[in-house]
Amino acid sequence: MSSAISVRRLTKDFQIGIRGLKLRAVDDLSLEIPRGQVYGLLGPNGCGKSTTLKVVLGLVSATAGEISILGHPSATAEARSRTGFLPEAPYFHKFLSGRELVTYCARLSGVRPSELAAAVEDALGLAAMTDAADRPIGTYSKGMLQRIGFAQAVVHDPELVILDEPTAGVDPVGSAAIGRMIHAMRDKGKTVVLCSHLLGQVEQVCDRVAIMDRGKLVLEGRVEDVLARRDRHVMTIEAMTPAAREAAEAALAAHGARVTSVTHPRRSLEDLFRELVTGSRDA
Amino acid sequence: MIPSLQRTLWITRVTFLEAVRQRFFAFLMVLGAAMVLSSVSFRVFDFGHGELKFIADFGFGGMFLFGSVLSVVMTAQLFFSEIDNKTALTLLAKPLSRSEFLLGKFFGAWAVLGVFVVVLSGLLGVVMWAREQELVAMAEQAGKVPVTFSASGMVQFALLQWLRLGVVIAIVLTVSALARTFLFAVVVGSLAVVAGQLQWIAQDAVLKPTGSLIYGAFLWLSTRLLPNLQQFNIGDALVLGATGVPAEAVAEVALSGLAYMVAYLFVGTLVFRRREI
Amino acid sequence: MRPYYAPGLALLLVVGAGAFSEISWRSVRPSIPEIGRKELEPTLGQGVLLGILGGLRTVVADLTWIRSYVLWERKDRPGCEALMRTACALDPHSRYFWENTGYAIGFDMAHWEIRRRGGYAKVPAETQQRIFQQYARRGIDVLVEGIGHSKAPAPLLLCAAQLAETKLKDHALSVRYYQEAAESPDAPWFAARICANIMWEDGRKAEAYRWFRKYWTERMLPKEDGFPDDLRQLRVMEAGLRLKPEERIPRPTWER
Repeated sequence: MSSAISVRRLTKDFQIGIRGLKLRAVDDLSLEIPRGQVYGLLGPNGCGKSTTLKVVLGLVSATAGEISILGHPSATAEARSRTGFLPEAPYFHKFLSGRELVTYCARLSGVRPSELAAAVEDALGLAAMTDAADRPIGTYSKGMLQRIGFAQAVVHDPELVILDEPTAGVDPVGSAAIGRMIHAMRDKGKTVVLCSHLLGQVEQVCDRVAIMDRGKLVLEGRVEDVLARRDRHVMTIEAMTPAAREAAEAALAAHGARVTSVTHPRRSLEDLFRELVTGSRDA
Repeated sequence: MIPSLQRTLWITRVTFLEAVRQRFFAFLMVLGAAMVLSSVSFRVFDFGHGELKFIADFGFGGMFLFGSVLSVVMTAQLFFSEIDNKTALTLLAKPLSRSEFLLGKFFGAWAVLGVFVVVLSGLLGVVMWAREQELVAMAEQAGKVPVTFSASGMVQFALLQWLRLGVVIAIVLTVSALARTFLFAVVVGSLAVVAGQLQWIAQDAVLKPTGSLIYGAFLWLSTRLLPNLQQFNIGDALVLGATGVPAEAVAEVALSGLAYMVAYLFVGTLVFRRREI
Repeated sequence: MRPYYAPGLALLLVVGAGAFSEISWRSVRPSIPEIGRKELEPTLGQGVLLGILGGLRTVVADLTWIRSYVLWERKDRPGCEALMRTACALDPHSRYFWENTGYAIGFDMAHWEIRRRGGYAKVPAETQQRIFQQYARRGIDVLVEGIGHSKAPAPLLLCAAQLAETKLKDHALSVRYYQEAAESPDAPWFAARICANIMWEDGRKAEAYRWFRKYWTERMLPKEDGFPDDLRQLRVMEAGLRLKPEERIPRPTWER
């Protein structure tokens, strides 16, 4: 089965100024994004992530290289009809209600009139925006904007969903909700490409990651594989006394192992925040 | 309905809704209406032109002036708001072609200008009709031949103005497809309108024989590239002229307007396809 | 579509549209007499542009005319004439502009010119006469142009006739204009009488009588009171020509 996105030797140069100086935003990038997974595309600002996505979606033309989406050349209507996209910091027409926006996007994406109402309701439900769907988008909070953006990206039941910084500026509760939506998409067999520089979230949500820097691919692989330190182990011990510690260290030393540090485990601030704050903040 | 047409109509619909909500549109509509209504008060100012001509001129002038401003500024704003706010990213990532997007923008803006022209023409027609009734009564009392205006001429003129504004919108969209900033598009669009209104000078020159091949070629090319917008300003003859304007001539003007619209939209589409969003 | 076909097609479409435009311009050009006039050129930079561009021509013409009054007060001949001609060009259907421009050029500007040259005491009589005639001709030229645009030209013809009579001293030309005025649809009642008088004074007595009699019979007699004053003038002419009774106008019942 072909990859969800196949990028072969993609190069993108931008011309700057009248003298035609070139800025190479993406440099000979090759990627294969498998189907049915959540794929994270990481990198610092200006590394070429967003440019790569724009080339994939046909918003920007490649200087060199080949790209295909679900087996079709990218930038074709066929490819885009099976792709959903949520841009970074989405902005939508303020006078439209959430439902009107999703309907509008559904029609543009080719959802048939007979299936329209159900598709819109499903998308709004998935994004937890049913209650606020009839309000003008101009009244939405940042988190609601992201969620309605998510709804418009998935309303036509695409096989591939591309999310560019979906949790930028969103509070932890909203971020967690978006994370759950991403997993729900994956569980339905969709492929989700997540572009972000919020490493903590990527680590939690993604199955595979690729890291870019200065237009080049630096690292690519499964999250567990790239993050794991196979030469070390972590044991979490409850009710350990100083005597028990000494005995444990001695037993390990007898087998050639060495305890390098003993610390108390910490939960993350995000976890603490989520534990303390319940329910949706969105009015 | 074919999917491409449906998508274009959806873009048209949302563009129209966005445009009519703008305060700028309401402001210019009110200004134009005020101009038409105030012509009745200003008629004492006229130097014997004939009241109906004076009132008509106010109305035609308002339609020309405010219609041109609206078509240039609003069209550029409708286009660049999509680019600057990145809603174009969301839309063009869907199976929506660049041509459908641009055409949708065009038809949405043109529909708004249609509303503008209909409202002002209707108002002008009502004002002229009311004054005409008074003038006819006065003329009959004095034993003179009354001056009247042609309602069908008014309808034809309104259609021609709508076409003219459509040509302007097509030009502005083409410029916007190429331009990087809203200001540039507005300035160049405005200059194109002025140049179009003065294009008759070159066309008059083309109609006269010239000895120089280079000069003739230059004139020929310059009269083709920009439309002659002056040819749409036949309101006086259509509405107040004794014999009106021949139907064939009106049809020819309309056809040339449509031809320029199609041509500029095609050029705009070609330019927009190469634009990086 | 191959890359080079599309720009070629675009150029073809634009050029084709331009060809249509040339055809349509030829058709509608006669319907827009206000533009393309030489009179507008000197004043293009003075706010006339809006009127040329389209719409509001009447308003701009009015404003231009009012500005011309300011220059008339200052006796600024070139400026006043330019603005008056501009107003005529912007609204060629306005008889008022043509009439007053003709009067101003034909009657007023000659005096300004004489004053500019030193006054009546200083400028020789022959020179004064030449100046009057020069400006009268210019005024008549303006009026003749206005007649071409006017549906009711009688007032302009009368003005031209007055200029020809009083300034050019060309009675033949004056008679011609009075005749045209009398025969126009909106002819004033006195035009024929003045025309006949001038012909009579010029020695063209028989011709004056014949023409005036025909005019009175066809256009005046059928009207309300039959114009008795004009009939009286015809009787004076008949007496002057010593016509026999059978050659004279039959007596209407109402004649005293």
